[in-house]
Amino acid sequence: MLVEQASTGSGASGQNAGSLHFQIERRFLERKGGLGLEGEQTATLSRIAIDDWSTLEDRLGVSLHVHMNGGLMVAENADQVAILKAKADRERAMGLSVETIDGAEARRRAPYLSEGIVAANFMAAEGHADTRKIAPAFATAATAAGAEIQIRTRLTKLEWQGASFRAEIIGSEGAFTVGAKKVLVAAGVWSARIAAMANLHLPLFPVGLTMSASERTPHFLPHLVQHVAQRLSMKQTEAGNILIGGGWPSRLHRVDGIFDLSRPAELIIQSLRNNLSVATKTVPRVADLNLIRTWTGVTAVTPDQLPIAGEFPTMPGLFCAAGGSAFTLGPTFARLVADQMLERERDEADRLLAVASPARFDSLNGFMGR
Amino acid sequence: MTNSIHHYDVAIIGGGPAGQAAALVLDQNGARIAVIDEQQRPGGQILRQPPQEFAMAQSMKGKSYTSLKSQLRAFEALNRCDWIGGKSVIGIDRSGGTVDLTLASGDGITQVSANRLLIASGCYDLPIPIPGWTLPGAMGAGGLQALVKAQAVVPDGRVLLAGTHPLMLIVATQVIAAGGTVAEVAFDQRQSFLARLLIKGAGTALRNFGLMLDAASAWATLRRAGVPVTFGQRLSVIEGLNRVSSARIGKRTVHCDAVGLCYGFLPQSDLPRLAGLSVRWAQPTGGWAAEHDGWMRSSVSQIFVAGETSGVAGAPAALLEGQIAGAGIALDLGLIPMDEAEAIRRDAARKQIRVSRFAALLDRIADPTSALTALRDANTILCRCEDVTIGAVETALIQDSDPNSVKLVTRCGMGTCQGRGCEHMLLRLAAHKRGVGPNELRGFTSRFPVRPTRIGDLIG
Repeated sequence: MLVEQASTGSGASGQNAGSLHFQIERRFLERKGGLGLEGEQTATLSRIAIDDWSTLEDRLGVSLHVHMNGGLMVAENADQVAILKAKADRERAMGLSVETIDGAEARRRAPYLSEGIVAANFMAAEGHADTRKIAPAFATAATAAGAEIQIRTRLTKLEWQGASFRAEIIGSEGAFTVGAKKVLVAAGVWSARIAAMANLHLPLFPVGLTMSASERTPHFLPHLVQHVAQRLSMKQTEAGNILIGGGWPSRLHRVDGIFDLSRPAELIIQSLRNNLSVATKTVPRVADLNLIRTWTGVTAVTPDQLPIAGEFPTMPGLFCAAGGSAFTLGPTFARLVADQMLERERDEADRLLAVASPARFDSLNGFMGR
Repeated sequence: MTNSIHHYDVAIIGGGPAGQAAALVLDQNGARIAVIDEQQRPGGQILRQPPQEFAMAQSMKGKSYTSLKSQLRAFEALNRCDWIGGKSVIGIDRSGGTVDLTLASGDGITQVSANRLLIASGCYDLPIPIPGWTLPGAMGAGGLQALVKAQAVVPDGRVLLAGTHPLMLIVATQVIAAGGTVAEVAFDQRQSFLARLLIKGAGTALRNFGLMLDAASAWATLRRAGVPVTFGQRLSVIEGLNRVSSARIGKRTVHCDAVGLCYGFLPQSDLPRLAGLSVRWAQPTGGWAAEHDGWMRSSVSQIFVAGETSGVAGAPAALLEGQIAGAGIALDLGLIPMDEAEAIRRDAARKQIRVSRFAALLDRIADPTSALTALRDANTILCRCEDVTIGAVETALIQDSDPNSVKLVTRCGMGTCQGRGCEHMLLRLAAHKRGVGPNELRGFTSRFPVRPTRIGDLIG
């Protein structure tokens, strides 16, 4: 049984901008010491995710508007180019196919790029998919495979009872109780609160982000476009809207010193203006398009920026899949965590998910879990 | 984007009867005010004025316009109040302690900041997804009236007015006065109540009130002009190849070149909802009306509402609410003592009794519910920005009856109008599916920018 408090895909999986980014993320480069080791560690997962996304539409049997026409991470000066080159070296060493191209070559492949772009890292597998479609498609496939999905249904209590978990749930038809041998927490930003029901700490911290859509325009931008030194992601949807994002903050509501996750984060106008500035500096022609909608979404980050996927050592039987990059890596997490839960090629799944295992935060739970 | 921000005591969004009334009270008490409106000149929809450079005879001759016109003259005579015309408010931000507004126009972006905000942004035609409603030539009667009022433009050929709202009698005479031809005025509902009220008086003093008085005289004018006014035969389809050429009224085909649809009006709720105001589902038309206290304070501090924003009740009601809001804001800002504010409110509240009885009566007469319930043609477009049909929405509702999920799955409401056209109908369909009232559902989330805005204007 899958229990969802709202509707499938109504949280971050439906609100993010749909990037399929397999290069080491720019946010990992923001940390002191240059290229973050953490980013590099996700390269293995990225490699698997490329295969997962390439076959997802076939496996689910529906169009998800998956476009893997390549992604460009652009640079505007020599310092940034140096980062691109070092990054590409590391990525190639990890088995990801990335090439650094100069500005002229970048504009040959992507004529919409500004003259100010002096180089780009190009990765052929990158792209984007339609966030509106993914979760509903998975839900349809899961239902067809025999899963029971309860939407507008809320977990209120989760207890380990020695041999199994006992979950108290409130749905539209009233309250009920479910027993389960194994439980997966995949509730995005709410995951920490679910873990707390089981008396566990899960170090996931909410962050509000900003995404924008232009009016529809004839297709001219087939790639995913990112910037190596500034927060930016751009792509064009199947319908023709340009989606602009890249990690610009929005403001979470607070009540009594607690982040209020029941309300959408508040738009910070300056954040949006900065985001649009980077976008128009990179792809000048978007300046003449109308912005039709800016929205905020809330995702979760961990202390080391890596996702959390796997089983809690303190409470065997309880699994988690959350914590950033989970649109790009979501289908892969799903497959590998399912393998773990079913004890199906468990060792291989454990090995691949080692980088994301909740075990690395186990010290937090030395006093918890009982 | 310019960085000079003009600061005011009060910013008023909407230069119609409510905004003007509040401005008059506030100006008298020394407040520095800006009134912002999408139109170039004050007046709102009811007294929409042609551009100054147009030499045009006033087309609004009805008696219900008299007090509104004298208020407009008084408002235009204010010299401390800044009129900011031709601009749309696209964002509201309260995080800095003041209410900061982002304004957009063809000239780019400007900002206005104020200690208090009054949202009096009016209403718009209830969109009716009837087969053929997206054909060129089909429009809301309010839109048709705006063309006549502001530009003396009437559609070529024969105009059909159809719907449930008596305003269409008045629009019909305005079309004729501007040189147009009216094919027919077709009321969806049976004649009984409306006709009793208009012709026989129906033993109510309300007959001689405001819009009803004008509607009765308009009906007489139409009779003299030989324009058929029919009842109880529902408009079921608008037909035409590339534009409107006819419409089905009951079992008849009426040849016409334009159709004005007149089923009532929805509050403009994008700004109230963007600012987080509590709203309620407005009966019987639908849409979202802002909730308020006895001083027209909204649920969000610093923000007041008046006029159709708080529920569509017509211009006289809007004017009175504007006066109360003006007194409430002046009181909040410490510009007047409680007894003075109370005196203004008492006077307005006394007049409100009669006005609201009339508004309730009009709601009953013009109730579009039965007409809306009949709209279930699967092939008809519901969301005209994204070309989503009623059928596509109903299919999505089978999987998940949450309106925002349906929006994501079908793109209904994701276009340039942000759902102004389709949200009410999607909510009705979802409510029907779930067996609850639309008031129990969560509507679309209003997003910045409230009007499409050039990206290049926003950067910096």
